[in-house]
Amino acid sequence: MKGITLLALAVFLVWTTPAVAKDPQPQFKSVEAKHFPRAEGVELSPAFSDYLYAELRAELTKAKLFGQVIGEDEVVDAADAPKSLVIVGTITEFKKGSVVKDALIGFGAGMRSLKVDANAARRSDQQNLTAIHVHVKVSPRWNEKVMARFAAKNIVKQLKDSLKSEAKAAS
Amino acid sequence: MTFRRVAPMQWCVLIVYALVAVKARAEEPKPTPENTIHVQLAEPVKPQTFSRPLKFFLVDVVDRSGSAQPMMVFRRRGGIFLDHTPSEITRAGLETCLKSADMLAKDRDSADFLLTLYLFNFGLSESSGMDFFGKVEFAVMLKNPKTAKSQQIAASGTSIAGAAVRKKNVQKNVQEDIERAFGDALRNLLRGMKLRDAVAALDVPADLSGAPAQPAATATPTAIEKPHQPIE
Repeated sequence: MKGITLLALAVFLVWTTPAVAKDPQPQFKSVEAKHFPRAEGVELSPAFSDYLYAELRAELTKAKLFGQVIGEDEVVDAADAPKSLVIVGTITEFKKGSVVKDALIGFGAGMRSLKVDANAARRSDQQNLTAIHVHVKVSPRWNEKVMARFAAKNIVKQLKDSLKSEAKAAS
Repeated sequence: MTFRRVAPMQWCVLIVYALVAVKARAEEPKPTPENTIHVQLAEPVKPQTFSRPLKFFLVDVVDRSGSAQPMMVFRRRGGIFLDHTPSEITRAGLETCLKSADMLAKDRDSADFLLTLYLFNFGLSESSGMDFFGKVEFAVMLKNPKTAKSQQIAASGTSIAGAAVRKKNVQKNVQEDIERAFGDALRNLLRGMKLRDAVAALDVPADLSGAPAQPAATATPTAIEKPHQPIE
């Protein structure tokens, strides 16, 4: 019994050691997220844009892809510019949804939806590294800020996947 | 008979209303040492460097939040209060940052630029309900005392912190959230391109002050008032 426990412990240690040893080096020195403006006809509260910006910054910090998540319009050293990203985007569509349709029909009918288009560009030459399209659907009963949270998570996930695949292709 | 039955009913309704009102009044949170937090910068924000060494003097911090209770940042669960007013915290934070980079003037006569800060938001803002949304927003009037020209710079900081169940953790998360948002706002001001551009526009030699060098705003601040509501 003791032997099995020791063996299990050894296997666990061997299994987890590479994960501990692997210290992911941030691909970019810094990233700057801008406030996403609303396209014409998008009726969202003014606080929504602020909240989306805050969630996006929080998710970018969690992603650990970047050395630093800097504030909007912050001065960056010219030497750091090639290793710095800028994320710009627009809220292109917002549908309020319908509680009645959601309750009576269901299966996604009457859902509240949000579409966001974003681009991640290198600061030095403004070259677009990836284009991100996010479509979030939530229940019409939920607070619109929940959509901002999901949208921010989706944006960072797509950005992470895109940058990782790019790095793999380059190596 | 009818009169006798209705009158007690009206009295009952009145008494119930009075009791509810008294209960609601009793639930209004009060600051105690247990529910008071101390907000300060974890480390001073290093301001950007300018073409020449500059000294700033913080003239005044004006609270324009319009909040009746500026020190209450969270109303539910007995409330969470700040130990100092937002104006005092902001003044201390900004002066610490400037002092750390040797950019704080001793008095207004020795300053290259005078700063007057108008605070619009300091604390928590409405969030999705799954987290805390810290927001600090202010505008700074940057004035060159030699030319008497000034420009307004807006700065804001936001932060998201996770929600918590235990009151102690709620208090800790709210404190961290506000501290991060405050640090972010100061960073936005001191390392922002808006300050760099404003300084570049206003920092002209005194003998050239008569010439119309740059378009600059008047010293009168805008009377923007953003109502601040503590989170229910």
